[in-house]
Amino acid sequence: MRTSLGIRAGVIGLAAVVIAVLPLALSDYNRTQGADVAVFFMAILGLNIVTGYTGQISIGHGAFMAIGGYTTAILTHEHGWNDVATLPISALVGFAAGVVVGLPALRFRGAYLALVTFAVALAVPQIAKNYSGFTGGTEGLQLPQHTGLWLYGAAWLSAAILFVLAWLMLRSRTGRALRAVRDSEVAAASSGVSPAVYKTAAFGVSAAFAAVAGSFYVLTISFVNPDVFGLTLSLYVLIGAVVGGLGSLWGVLVGAAFVQLLPIGLTSSHGLSSQSVPVIFGAIVILVMALVPRGAADLLRVGAALSSRKSQNNSLGLEGR
Amino acid sequence: MTRRLKVSLALAAAAIAAVATAAAFAGTTATPGITKTSVTIGGTFPLTGAAQLYGVIPKAENAYFQYVNAHGGVNGRKINFKVYDDGYNPAQTVPLTKKLVQQDHVFAVYGSLGTAPILATRDYLNKLKVPQVLVATGDSYWATQYKKYPWTIGFQPDYPGESKVYGQFINSKVPQAKIGVLMQDDAYGQNYYDGLVAGLGDSKSKIVDVEKYDATQTDVSQQVVKLRASGANVFALFALPTQTIDALVVATKIGWKPTTFINNVSASPLFMGLAQKSGANVQGDITATYVYDVINNPNTATAKLYKSILATYDKGADPTDSNNIYGVASAWTFVQALKAAGPNPTRQGLMDALTSMRNVVNPFLYPGIKINTSGTDHFVIDQQILQQFRGPAWVPFGHLFGNAK
Amino acid sequence: MAVSQLTRTLVPTIRIRWSAWIVPALLAGGCIFLVVGSIQSSLFAQQTVSGLANGGIYASLAVALVLIYRATEVINFAQGALATFTTFVAWQLLQWGLSYWPTFVLTLAIAFALGVIVELVAIRPVERRGNVLTVVIASIGLLILLEGAVGWIWKPTVRFMPSPFPLHFWHVGGVAFSSQDIGTIGVSIASVVVLWAFFRFTKLGLAMRAAAVRPHAARLVGVRVSWLLSLGWGLAATLGAVAGLLVAPNPSVQLSPSMMDGILIYAFAAAVLGGLESSIGAVVAGLAIGVVLSLLGSYVSWVTPQLQLPAAFVLMLIVLLVKPSGLFGRTTVRKV
Repeated sequence: MRTSLGIRAGVIGLAAVVIAVLPLALSDYNRTQGADVAVFFMAILGLNIVTGYTGQISIGHGAFMAIGGYTTAILTHEHGWNDVATLPISALVGFAAGVVVGLPALRFRGAYLALVTFAVALAVPQIAKNYSGFTGGTEGLQLPQHTGLWLYGAAWLSAAILFVLAWLMLRSRTGRALRAVRDSEVAAASSGVSPAVYKTAAFGVSAAFAAVAGSFYVLTISFVNPDVFGLTLSLYVLIGAVVGGLGSLWGVLVGAAFVQLLPIGLTSSHGLSSQSVPVIFGAIVILVMALVPRGAADLLRVGAALSSRKSQNNSLGLEGR
Repeated sequence: MTRRLKVSLALAAAAIAAVATAAAFAGTTATPGITKTSVTIGGTFPLTGAAQLYGVIPKAENAYFQYVNAHGGVNGRKINFKVYDDGYNPAQTVPLTKKLVQQDHVFAVYGSLGTAPILATRDYLNKLKVPQVLVATGDSYWATQYKKYPWTIGFQPDYPGESKVYGQFINSKVPQAKIGVLMQDDAYGQNYYDGLVAGLGDSKSKIVDVEKYDATQTDVSQQVVKLRASGANVFALFALPTQTIDALVVATKIGWKPTTFINNVSASPLFMGLAQKSGANVQGDITATYVYDVINNPNTATAKLYKSILATYDKGADPTDSNNIYGVASAWTFVQALKAAGPNPTRQGLMDALTSMRNVVNPFLYPGIKINTSGTDHFVIDQQILQQFRGPAWVPFGHLFGNAK
Repeated sequence: MAVSQLTRTLVPTIRIRWSAWIVPALLAGGCIFLVVGSIQSSLFAQQTVSGLANGGIYASLAVALVLIYRATEVINFAQGALATFTTFVAWQLLQWGLSYWPTFVLTLAIAFALGVIVELVAIRPVERRGNVLTVVIASIGLLILLEGAVGWIWKPTVRFMPSPFPLHFWHVGGVAFSSQDIGTIGVSIASVVVLWAFFRFTKLGLAMRAAAVRPHAARLVGVRVSWLLSLGWGLAATLGAVAGLLVAPNPSVQLSPSMMDGILIYAFAAAVLGGLESSIGAVVAGLAIGVVLSLLGSYVSWVTPQLQLPAAFVLMLIVLLVKPSGLFGRTTVRKV
């Protein structure tokens, strides 16, 4: 257990160093791409809290990204706020939206909950389009332009802060309570943990993370309109969360890089015939699900278990998450 | 936390300064995208997704560039046209446009399609003084906001100008008109609606009902049914192709026979053919056009050249699709401007060429149309002709009308 | 604690006895409303008919979703893309000169084979080691793959897909409808009847039900569960193909790689609203969604075109809050 934790900490530390040093070697364009990886990192982190730790499936996290994105856009564009100053507001508004969705979500499970969140993801851009006086409608709102370096630094700094917050939260009593709720609501309730409170709060925190991701999403585009938050965005966040591994924070980076960099990498290697990109990307998603159904975190866990077996002869797969 | 943010802000400021200095030096040495043998340009288009029907345009444009390249290029330079698929989503347009500028080092962003994608990238390109030329959208902004965005210019006639002529035509030729409008509920529809109102002038009250649909709704039967119930005898369609086809079929289905006006974007012979096969009666419908009429003039030199370009460099393309002739006409205009920019073209030179065209005759446009632009007139094409659907095809009638200024 | 109390008051638990008659009553009331309204106003009748025609489209795909869900508890995101793919295959066969009905039959056969292959190649390897969520992700991957493949193989252009029904517009008492409208509703209802008979009266159907409800027990009595899952996917793809062939000739749809995207959203809603395990529920809910959208847009002035989808979803949410397992869903007791 300790060894594997040490290895995980080592991997995280290495990733942090690489992320911090990488921009020096990247072009400005690739730094913007790196910032987009941070956007997905934050959104997937948020989704993981609600789906991985309380077992509630959400296909709608793009909706919370939209709410965060519009919060930042409206405050900077209409009210002249500094964009960094909008981030806490974005998180607060996202939290509130998460609680609003989380309350009725208590009634639903599995596919029914999936539909409700799916509906929210489809409805939010339509609502944004409807109140065009406020949101700019399809013509959208312009945001300040930033360099790739600024976007990269600011987005990864936020991502690091959110990661530490999530890690602290999930290690604490709260985290244990959430896992208890996921594994058995009745058992959790009988030991004094209220599933309703924890599930709703988890939805709120999860949405707050997604909202901050949404703020950085619109900052990297420096533009916002409802088309930006299409259903594909929600689906990609979900794919990233599962590819990274649900119920564990260690694979989030892999999930984020997978959904952001893989399609772009395929596009640039194919040039004009980009029509084949979705075919290859879709096939890779299926392949990953077949080979690593529990995500990258699982690979890391297996790796850690393997190396600790050398010293302690632990058995595989019994590692606690 | 705040201190770290400040540090990162300071770092960012330093980086901006560094990039700006580098750009300034780069600007003095060579023009990006230009070598002795090539000119690299690029654009973003919806090759996938709901707007994929427009995906034929960059292929037709590329076909024309290939044709020019095969005949020696422009001043000895071959045109290298990079096409990226943004799926009509600004979240894709922006990074892909940055990629064109920062990775591919294009000379100019050419032909990019869609109002929102252009709005999303206009600030960025103008700030870096990268030409964003002959964009494929008919909003009037590109021409009217040239002072703030001097590096952006459109191509096709603007939407309000087109529908203004419908209004004038209704006033003079349709007695006791009661107009029902079907419009997309966004700037696209609003642009057309405003033009119609301007054209009607004092007779604005002839509009008896306006029904709107959202771009994500493809079924417009509820709106068409209400328009008919309003007693309208003129049907003004300011919609995208799918909704236009549906509206034409529904109108016939419910037995409504108004005088119908279809906006140019949705009036391609291909769409009309599909509407007819689905049961719509489109005889007598009216639209405006500005591209060469290859269907009624299949054997002219222009038509033959156009068809041979498509047949050679864009195999399988349908020459009757007006998006294809649009693409070739647009590419012709770019080539013309590049020639006019001289043997050592610069970005500024390209913009100067595009804003100083005098009576330029583009063979792929409707005969008689002359392109005139100036420092204060950024409307590239500002003449059109009305046409009516008779028998199997659109038949032009009347005189060319100008609508800008 | 305050939150949990709040949720308890906001979201009351409904007793099953109460909900046993609420659904039939609701549906009967809705039907009476529609009939009376249609007699009162031909405009209302026309909007109702338009809504029903769209609802038939949603229902036809929803039934295929239900079929897969019943077998595997998976919402198949690729259901629409499979239908799109097979419809393009049909178009290609027609282009090659085959006449309509042979094409129709051949397309259904190809769809069945495609469904079985997809289950074997893409779903089974995922299902073996994963869970419901990984299979859902695989189906999203399949959606991306198939839509991409259609766009790759068939270049974007306008394509005409003929209708299985003769092109004709009917006028009855001031209300217009096309043979296409009647056909779509008719076929979606017919497919439910056929499915019901299949599951009720054939050995294979009974075996499939057994395999879905109690896989282990079914295996013990000699049912080959894995083969039945492939069969289920084959059948769902066939139903989807029927939906695609019905939908594509509709002037509001047209043949394109993304033609099923918008429909899948409402089909998904119809499947869930109907109770996920009930094909009758899917059809009723599909028709209801079609009519509600049409009437909301026509008669409720604050429901702008943009708000039609959110408003329909809010109504659906209210229904689901009252009856969380859908209109025709069974309330299952979950093991702790």
